[in-house]
Amino acid sequence: MHNFTSLKILDFFQPLFRTMKIDYPTMRKILEVKLTMDQRRVPTILNDMSKKKKEGKNNFLLSLLIYAFYGLMLVPFIFLGDSYMFQISIMIGISMFILMTSLISDFSSVLLNIRDKAILNTKPIHPRTLSAAKIVHIAIYLSLITGAFIAIPSVVMIFTKGIVYFLIFLVEIILLGLFIMAFTVLVYMFILRLFDGEKLKDIINYVQILLAIGVVVGYQIVIRLFDFVDQEFIYDFSWWHVLIPPIWFGAPFELLLNQEYSIGIILLSILAVIGPIVSIYIYSLLMPSFERNLQKLMEESGTRKKRSWNLSESVGRFICISKEERAFYRFSSIMLRRERDFKLKVYPSLGMALVFPFIFLFNNLGYQSFSDISQGKSYLTIYFCNIIIGTVVYMLQFSGKYKGAWIFQTTPIHKHSAVYRATLKAFLVQLYLPILSVLSIVYIWIFSFRIIPDLIIVFLSAILLVLIAYRVFNNGKYPFTEPLESANQSGGNTGKMILLMVAVAFFVLVHFIVLAIPFGIYGYLLVLSIINIVGWKLVFK
Amino acid sequence: MGNKEKVLSLQNLTMSYSGKNVLTGVNLDVYSGQIIGYIGPNGAGKSTTLKIMLGLINGYGGKVEIFGQDIAISDQSFKQKIGYVPENAEVYDTLTAMEYLTFIGELYGLNREKVEVKAERLLEEFGLHEVMHSRISSFSKGMRQKVLILSSLLHNPDLLFLDEPLSGLDANSVMIIKDLLEELANQGKTIFYSSHIMDVVEKISTRIVLLVNGQIAADGTFDELKEKSKEGSLEGIFNQLTGFDQHKHTAKKVVSIVMEDDDNA
Repeated sequence: MHNFTSLKILDFFQPLFRTMKIDYPTMRKILEVKLTMDQRRVPTILNDMSKKKKEGKNNFLLSLLIYAFYGLMLVPFIFLGDSYMFQISIMIGISMFILMTSLISDFSSVLLNIRDKAILNTKPIHPRTLSAAKIVHIAIYLSLITGAFIAIPSVVMIFTKGIVYFLIFLVEIILLGLFIMAFTVLVYMFILRLFDGEKLKDIINYVQILLAIGVVVGYQIVIRLFDFVDQEFIYDFSWWHVLIPPIWFGAPFELLLNQEYSIGIILLSILAVIGPIVSIYIYSLLMPSFERNLQKLMEESGTRKKRSWNLSESVGRFICISKEERAFYRFSSIMLRRERDFKLKVYPSLGMALVFPFIFLFNNLGYQSFSDISQGKSYLTIYFCNIIIGTVVYMLQFSGKYKGAWIFQTTPIHKHSAVYRATLKAFLVQLYLPILSVLSIVYIWIFSFRIIPDLIIVFLSAILLVLIAYRVFNNGKYPFTEPLESANQSGGNTGKMILLMVAVAFFVLVHFIVLAIPFGIYGYLLVLSIINIVGWKLVFK
Repeated sequence: MGNKEKVLSLQNLTMSYSGKNVLTGVNLDVYSGQIIGYIGPNGAGKSTTLKIMLGLINGYGGKVEIFGQDIAISDQSFKQKIGYVPENAEVYDTLTAMEYLTFIGELYGLNREKVEVKAERLLEEFGLHEVMHSRISSFSKGMRQKVLILSSLLHNPDLLFLDEPLSGLDANSVMIIKDLLEELANQGKTIFYSSHIMDVVEKISTRIVLLVNGQIAADGTFDELKEKSKEGSLEGIFNQLTGFDQHKHTAKKVVSIVMEDDDNA
């Protein structure tokens, strides 16, 4: 085991922990072991990049580099306009998005971990020390990530805006970190209290997706708070702004640097300081009950009734010909629906598929009126939901429970190709179609029924793209047979994935051209259908 | 085993998960030097009892006393003299065997250098010297189990809770563990373990406690149980007391269903 610099720094705060009646040496030991174990795993942000699994700090340092790179995003905003409210709210909004996403995807497992209860809670250690170890563990990473993220913007700030500006920003980002940690835990706490048993485990998955979507949407809201007048962003206080945390953090700048003492600004400034502190205080009050409720994750729930009717299954009977294929279709549907590790990796990108089209559609709202949009061709933005197809089809070969795959070897399967075909169909019906349906309903509401043929074309191109993605990634394997961790290892796939995203752009282009031809759309629809039928027949011969 | 010191006492212990009663009033006193075989059908509440005694589960009814302390109001110190082997081989398997044992020893407040020496010697006795610096994730099930058993012994506990301690171990290792438990009991340690392997329980337990539907259905030495139930083996006693005498019938029925399926194909 190593000597960790972060722990040495932590040693300075020893008195603080002692006054909180925390057994510092024990906490330090637990942290040392946890950090050692972390070095031996790969953080998710490196998913597509790590070519080989190397032990040691390299992995985490590399991921810090990525955060530093993300930090570049903040730099333009430092120069955007003179309104502190605007600059800071946007910057804090982005930081919140980045840090929270990382917290959810990488550290939810730490927060919700109950596996080591049997190891740690059976030892003579006070629960207070254990929860402290948990939260400090997360805090160490969050501060490293935050540090990397704001490194470049900080340098720029010091040189262009002066040291005071930077110091306020630094204090705010620390407060933000506290707020994010507390907020995430509070959300989980709420869910843990509301649900139990198997349902709870499923819901936690969806919460992770919802949080991810929430931040994307929140960012959009923040941008729209400002009126763009004469090259300048004007801010007007409304009461409901107190509900949007990024706005809080803009106010202290106005207060301290512009001596702006309006009630709104003062109120928001107070919230920027009080909000994080109160949320951390609530967190520390509720932590024991949180740990107690975590137990629910261990409970076995009672018998579940079999669902009498299932839409996806009925569809399956329709689109799968052979008995064997139907069996695999059913199996794949269940895996896609229930396998938690798989869902954790894949569902967030499904959330993106749902959100991206709207983001790009609403971006047009800035310079077009709503009725202009509904007359135009912006409905092509719905294609943005197709860019995740490549990623998800690639992920279909992985599973957290890959060891169960011996059944494929020991059973007499007649047509090997039927297995994967069934899985792809299950993906389309189970995951893709619901997203497209939701999008379609909203788009039809905006653009009227005239776009129905276009929507069908989008769906057909998705089917074709699934087939292409399958050809690109698959090498004669069965689905759900590779360990999820090895999803990181194949670096060459990043290129392929980008290629598949470019393919989506190609589909959009063709669609756009076809729209210029009278009735071309129906011809294109026919051509796509034929390509699909022939293609699927050929590939799965 | 002369001095009978009360080590553990359960008084009217009840527990329910989301409305389902798992334990419905368990009363049990355990004295030092006893090897308790805690048996019962699947889902009878054995693991729950163990978890309550270890302070892993709160919200139970009744009273649990360990070493004379009520664990609901005591601080964590009662855990100091307890060793525990969990049932599902939960272990930080990205650590090496050595790192893991050292860590666990330290959590019990042992000095690092001392644990290291102790752990190394113990690993050697269990034939794991070669792999002590390999990660546990590369271990076979039996090797993991050995590490877990060692981790429960490092701090020289007076009370051992073992949940299926023999799972995955080969016949030779099972013999070592059996003798080990006996030797520990001779030294005045108390061992409380649950298992489904009846002939092992029969051979090493000085007292057998049978849990059915969240209540104790039988309690005594093997000979006492034999006398009461007029069955020759613990397996027989188990079947009788859990009210299960259908095994022949069930087996026949299963086979007939299997065969029937064959006709259709």
